[in-house]
Amino acid sequence: MVTDMTEATEDFCPPERTDLNQHGRELIVDARNIGVTFKVEGGTVQAVRDVSFQLHRGETIAVVGESGSGKSVTARTIMGLLTKRATITPGARILFEGKNILDFNAAARRRLRGDRFSMIFQEPMSSLNPVYTIGQQICEVIHLHNKVSRAEAMKRAEALLQEVQIPEPASRLKQYPHQLSGGQRQRVMIAMALANRPDVLIADEPTTALDVTVQAQILNLIKDLQRVHGMAVILITHDLTIVRQFSDYVYVMQNGEVKEHNRTEEIFRAPRHAYTRHLLASEPKGAANPLPGDTPVILEGKSVRVAFTLKRGGFFKPEYFPLIAVDNLSLDLRRHETLGLVGESGSGKTTFGQALLRLIPNNGGEIFFDGEPIQLKTRQQMRPLRSRMQIVFQDPFSSLNPRMSIGQIIEEGLIVNDIGADRKDRLERVKKALRDAGMPDTILSRFPHEFSGGQRQRIAIARAIAMEPEFILLDEPTSALDLSVQAQIIDLLRKLQDEKGLSYLFISHDLKVVRALCHRVIVMQHGKIVEQGPVSEVLTRPKTDYTARLVRAAFEIAA
Amino acid sequence: MTEALGDTPTVVKAAANPQGGRFAHGNETYLALVWRRFRRSVIGMIGLVMVLGLLIMALFADFFAPVNPKENGIGFAPPETLSFVAPDGSFSLLPRIYPIVETGEFDPVTFQPLTGPDLSNPHTLSFFVRGYDYKLLWLIPANIHFFGSTDGSAVHLLGTDKFGRDILSRAIVGSRISLTIALIVVFITTSVGTGIGITSGYLGGRFDAWVQRFVDLVLAFPQLPLYLALTSLIPITAPSNVFIAFVIAVMAALGWAQLSREVRGKTLALARIEYVRAAMAVGAGDGRIILRHILPNVLSHVIVSVTLAIPAIVLLESFLGFLGFAVKPPLISWGLMLQDTGAFSVIGSYPWILSPVGFVLLTVFAFNALGDGLRDAIDPY
Repeated sequence: MVTDMTEATEDFCPPERTDLNQHGRELIVDARNIGVTFKVEGGTVQAVRDVSFQLHRGETIAVVGESGSGKSVTARTIMGLLTKRATITPGARILFEGKNILDFNAAARRRLRGDRFSMIFQEPMSSLNPVYTIGQQICEVIHLHNKVSRAEAMKRAEALLQEVQIPEPASRLKQYPHQLSGGQRQRVMIAMALANRPDVLIADEPTTALDVTVQAQILNLIKDLQRVHGMAVILITHDLTIVRQFSDYVYVMQNGEVKEHNRTEEIFRAPRHAYTRHLLASEPKGAANPLPGDTPVILEGKSVRVAFTLKRGGFFKPEYFPLIAVDNLSLDLRRHETLGLVGESGSGKTTFGQALLRLIPNNGGEIFFDGEPIQLKTRQQMRPLRSRMQIVFQDPFSSLNPRMSIGQIIEEGLIVNDIGADRKDRLERVKKALRDAGMPDTILSRFPHEFSGGQRQRIAIARAIAMEPEFILLDEPTSALDLSVQAQIIDLLRKLQDEKGLSYLFISHDLKVVRALCHRVIVMQHGKIVEQGPVSEVLTRPKTDYTARLVRAAFEIAA
Repeated sequence: MTEALGDTPTVVKAAANPQGGRFAHGNETYLALVWRRFRRSVIGMIGLVMVLGLLIMALFADFFAPVNPKENGIGFAPPETLSFVAPDGSFSLLPRIYPIVETGEFDPVTFQPLTGPDLSNPHTLSFFVRGYDYKLLWLIPANIHFFGSTDGSAVHLLGTDKFGRDILSRAIVGSRISLTIALIVVFITTSVGTGIGITSGYLGGRFDAWVQRFVDLVLAFPQLPLYLALTSLIPITAPSNVFIAFVIAVMAALGWAQLSREVRGKTLALARIEYVRAAMAVGAGDGRIILRHILPNVLSHVIVSVTLAIPAIVLLESFLGFLGFAVKPPLISWGLMLQDTGAFSVIGSYPWILSPVGFVLLTVFAFNALGDGLRDAIDPY
């Protein structure tokens, strides 16, 4: 499979577009043969190889690929924001209005940046400076490229905020970033990017860090603004739903090379390169296999409540008040069943899940595991039950101890729970768990940093299943992973469930994944259950507004 | 990028052949990674070589010392001069040294005997010569020395102190006590500081609050007066080894607090990381979580702080020794040797007795440089 891809590469990506100048639009950026190498320990890495693309005024091109495919490096090359360790290969050209901007000196590049080229970054939480007001930060961009008075700049800033549809723009200007929500911060970032009416806007995963319902709003905003100002947009993303909806032309990148490019409809209608086909096929698909008959309940929560005590007021007049994260929620999970727990960030789904496993204390309610009440057990008393209930976390980079080898990580649960007759037997179990999770069993002495995100998540799953649990809490196990890896992990989870009769409580914000894996789903908002029922019913006929919004955000863009 | 095609066989292959890209350093262990990065730091490597040199020097101090450090001679004799020129004017690879002797004349004002180099009787220096008897590593009787005069007479390359003892030999032998004090004190402060920091950070709550107030208290003490007050509690007649043990205890009692606070901070962050939660979820107890999950991850910080704490203690010892509060004769330490430099008239007339300062400087630089290199290298992930 790998070889036939490299052979075929040449045919699908000529340096010029299939529809070059057919729209009669002005060609604004013509990039040819961009290559970027990075110096690393013990040599160099070619991050981008021979990438050519063209961009017309008023259109959106999408650059699609998985992490490490070189999309962001390409974007940074255009902006002139590469680190010192990067070298651009000699033959590369980026023609902007007929001039090769790679030949410009640093000052000339800086004049382009923020004025003719703008960029929106992925993480709105960290791309605004917390010690300046919104107004100051937008004005800075205006002042850098225009000689205008402070009052004039402020007036423009206000108009920009209005343009990106932030309510009460005048008062927002005096606010600090922490007073805004993630979606509003991303709108501010867009306002800053648009401050000088750029010709090219580069949006590097602009909505990845945002909640699904906010994603669509932000993308529509970019599209509207593009129509008004006629700028060209380079949209970098791994989300094919977004690509299909918002772009005119698609470049598919893998391992630093463009594998295929074509008009969006063409790419989705007839993908030619094997990698593109693979990418398109990796949208989570299928549904959970039907439940085998009437199975007993394994985990049951009755009016579970979790509250955190917060402190308000000063030292002399402290006021304590509870923040209710989980408000009298009940659920029951049957053996061999997958129950989805869905909601936006801050809805309390993770807290609820961890409280059910007694990893955090609950302040009320009853929890039964296999008929046994566990809500009053201490950590000590819970230990005999731990091997029967396991958890897989969202971020595979922080859930594996970097100082322990893979063997030690997986074996630990067996040691503390006294599973296995002797060390040899335990190692056999560790190897079997790794094989079950789709990893080779020869990696026992290696360390987590040697593996990619998807491989690490498989190791985390191996750690959970090595103890042969009956129930696993899956806390967004796929949301930190690339799309095609996501699909594999979902297949793996489904396979393990069928083989071992596992029950899953699956926490996610991604309804596409939920549809592919869950039997039933519970929708949460602000610590309360909004709606619940079988997946097919909730996702096709949502009863509440909130669920309908989530469903629309997840599926309708694609339609 | 290894998961590009992502079906299981590809994953397996990528894991088995870690080549290129982010897997370039596939199979290396943690130590190999640290070493690879450490080697790139020039200053760190210089520090490492110097620290190893110092430790070897301290361990085989008697072998490296040319003269018996307790043997008396002419007081305040200046450093003797090396010469590679033979009396007949030709060049000789074996250096000669002109010993300082009493000239037989007296100072007309003070009536002290005058000294000067004896140009007629040079000693030839050589490597691996016989000298005073000692026990190698406290076990093997030996009398071979790294260098010295071929006829066994004393050479004073850095001059002598007021009792006529060889400063170079005393500084070499004194490194033992100075480094031993530093290593023991740092061992105690590090274990106590790390232990208290981890428990305090991991257990949290009321225990943490009280421990941290106690740490505040220890840190708030004016340390120098306290050292002086505590060391003056020791009876003046106490044997010198008891005295030194007491000094170590005092230094350790005041030294652990800063590290424990740093370790607590790291532990607070680590205890919330998911692999610790995952360990709780498999049912691991507190002891296991602390030892297997938290300790290895704070260890890098601790090791760096050790390399920076050792020179601090060496400095403290030399300072307290200068004030006469650290080491008592007959033991020898750098601080004690500097005690003689208290009067300006002495330094003015006999500046060479300051040379132990050079050893302190070198030690401080060596450990700091090592720590600097380690800090950059120790978290390779």
